[in-house]
Amino acid sequence: MTTTAPQGPSVITPPDAATRLELYRTMVLARTFEEAILREYHADKGPGFDIGKGLVPGEMHLAAGQEPVAAGVCAHLTPDDAVTATHRPHHFAIAHGVDLDRMTAEIFGRESGLGHGRGGHMHLFDPAVHFSCSGIIAEGYPPALGQAFAFRHQGTDRVAVAVTGEGAANQGAFHESLNLAALWKLPVVFVIEDNDWGISVPRAASTAVASNAVRGAAYDMPAERIEDNAVEAVYDAAGRAVARARAGEGPTLLEVHTLRLWGHFEGDAQGYRPDLTDVPGHDPIPTYEQTLREADVLDDALVSRVAQEALARVDRAIAFAKQSPLPDPSDATAYVFS
Amino acid sequence: MTITESSVAPTPHGSHRLTTAKAMVEAIELEMERDPSVFYLGEDVGPYGGIFSSTTGLQERFGPSRVIDTPISESAFIGLAIGAAVEGMRPIAELMFADFMGVCLDQIYNHMAKIHFESGGNVKVPMVLTTAVGGGYSDAAQHSQCLWGTFAHLPGMKVVVPSNPYDAKGLMTSAIRDDNPVVYMFHKGVMGLPWMVRNPRATADVPDGSYTVPIGQAKVVRPGTDATVVTLSLSVHHALDAADTLAAQGVEVEVIDLRSLVPLDRRTILESVSKTGRLVVVDEDYQSFGLSGEVAATVTDVDPGLLRAPIARIANPDVPVPYARLLEHAVLPRQHRIEEGIRRVVYR
Amino acid sequence: MTEVAFPALSKESATAEGVVATWFVADGEAVEGDQLLAEVQVDKVAAEVPAPHAGVVHLLVEEDTAVTQGTPIARID
Repeated sequence: MTTTAPQGPSVITPPDAATRLELYRTMVLARTFEEAILREYHADKGPGFDIGKGLVPGEMHLAAGQEPVAAGVCAHLTPDDAVTATHRPHHFAIAHGVDLDRMTAEIFGRESGLGHGRGGHMHLFDPAVHFSCSGIIAEGYPPALGQAFAFRHQGTDRVAVAVTGEGAANQGAFHESLNLAALWKLPVVFVIEDNDWGISVPRAASTAVASNAVRGAAYDMPAERIEDNAVEAVYDAAGRAVARARAGEGPTLLEVHTLRLWGHFEGDAQGYRPDLTDVPGHDPIPTYEQTLREADVLDDALVSRVAQEALARVDRAIAFAKQSPLPDPSDATAYVFS
Repeated sequence: MTITESSVAPTPHGSHRLTTAKAMVEAIELEMERDPSVFYLGEDVGPYGGIFSSTTGLQERFGPSRVIDTPISESAFIGLAIGAAVEGMRPIAELMFADFMGVCLDQIYNHMAKIHFESGGNVKVPMVLTTAVGGGYSDAAQHSQCLWGTFAHLPGMKVVVPSNPYDAKGLMTSAIRDDNPVVYMFHKGVMGLPWMVRNPRATADVPDGSYTVPIGQAKVVRPGTDATVVTLSLSVHHALDAADTLAAQGVEVEVIDLRSLVPLDRRTILESVSKTGRLVVVDEDYQSFGLSGEVAATVTDVDPGLLRAPIARIANPDVPVPYARLLEHAVLPRQHRIEEGIRRVVYR
Repeated sequence: MTEVAFPALSKESATAEGVVATWFVADGEAVEGDQLLAEVQVDKVAAEVPAPHAGVVHLLVEEDTAVTQGTPIARID
């Protein structure tokens, strides 16, 4: 007997038009940013592909296709709530209101970056909105517990959102964190972005259960799986989870079956992915655009305006980054200790 | 019948006698009174008071919301401490044995130690990680290690190692008040535990009230002219015993208690070796690729000419700590090995 | 004059033996009521021995030597 994943309501009441427009806008901004970084990253790696070369060196993990998760969850948060993201953080950073100019400068390794060029794309910290991310799979969960613990100690109803991929659900820290959060009823929302692939390994080859949402039962924690990467389904489930946490009712586990449109990292040839040619057809943003057009929330003019505003904002951030000074090598050992 | 000759002299006014364990607890207690954001979490730290008496009486005093028993989930609760520190609290998390670092090392060295740097100084992690270290009572290979060389090797965390009650209290206060992550490593043999072999150096006078011992400052605990012994933790006790024995033979040894490994007080080491020309390093951690080599390099990086004899390293060999008492005590850097090392550098 | 006895810690035997692990005061020292005098140990159980009242304490046994539960270990004048 297999256990089926608990799912949310089959019919969801859509949010109001303003909220729907905002969800769409957030996703477009996140996608526009990822497309810009994609372009900038590959612009100067040649000939061939030298990963350490160019204005944006190192590994790059882009979240195209996963925007619905970030937009749907972060719509329920304020700047006082915490978000801990993964090695693929940009969409959550944007959805949660991280300073886009300084985030871009950090990705470009500049002195004016969020970390003065010390952290880079996988280690973005914006304390003004309590945003952090980590490059170690699943290890972002435990500190999120601590933020939730502090928020409660301080007498607030602030929450901590902790994000991982589906592969992380097989790591020890994931399980420890779920148990401890449930045991201590911490105001945490655990979000799993199941994009089917742990780099090149499909979920069925790594995970003993069909969905990580069934693992909530192991920790006596409410859990839900959203199957279709639909931003409004995410919005609905996240709203309930955030409300529970704010009310002191403890953590929830949300798994969203999402889509990694591009490679695990830039430079990933994805030879292991048999469905590759079909993938663009499942892009969630055109799908949502169509939904909103049919609901008269969007028309040609508005779609165009949203796209242009996103492009302008992203262009400004990229320009800021490129104009920012490089860090001084003689300062390379700074910031170890306070 | 009374004991007329007591080994314990009357306590000076304004101080009281404590074991190292009680001194550590007293520092935590005073800071928890002073600062409501300080809390302690770990395994068996509640009613049990810590396996090595690191929190005796604290939960009774401050309640279960500030002195918290955790599940056996080191990654989760050490990570929780990190997140709480990031949000303005001052947690003390206990790793029951330093030997357990393997199950949670990522949170320690990739998160606790790196968040300040990765954020360009914008995010602080003002937490203390306490942990019990050391052997000598047959707890064998997975429960007897010191491992301070490994913690000290990884950038981003301060490391302190008190050897006595006065430093235990002062360093704990400093560690809690420090805005950086501080790893506080206490040797089970210096704690003055009633169920370990009696150690007269584990009990001493400690001033009443709060005081600090600066982090990053070593101490010359015994001045001398003929050789410098640089050491830490329980080995300070054995070095002092060795120095007493050798004094009777006309050799005056200077003993330096490092007290902190990160930052390392290289200046005190150099000043002493400039004077004596002979260096013995005593370290209960594994010999190769660690603290004893670092102390040696501290001298040779500056001027090998300071040395009139090769450096003697008296450390645990590169061997897991054996269980049988005779075997264990053959690998530990105890008094007889220390005396032999001192003689080797002096009588060259 | 009050005698301070080695506390009865053992659940098995009233006449179990233990040790005074650590004296925290010196012979002849003036102590306050409730001040920590000693830490004692029987089998796996450790206990603190406070002064029953203020006075001058006299130590009757040495550290680390076998003492039967109930035996006076100090006297306070």
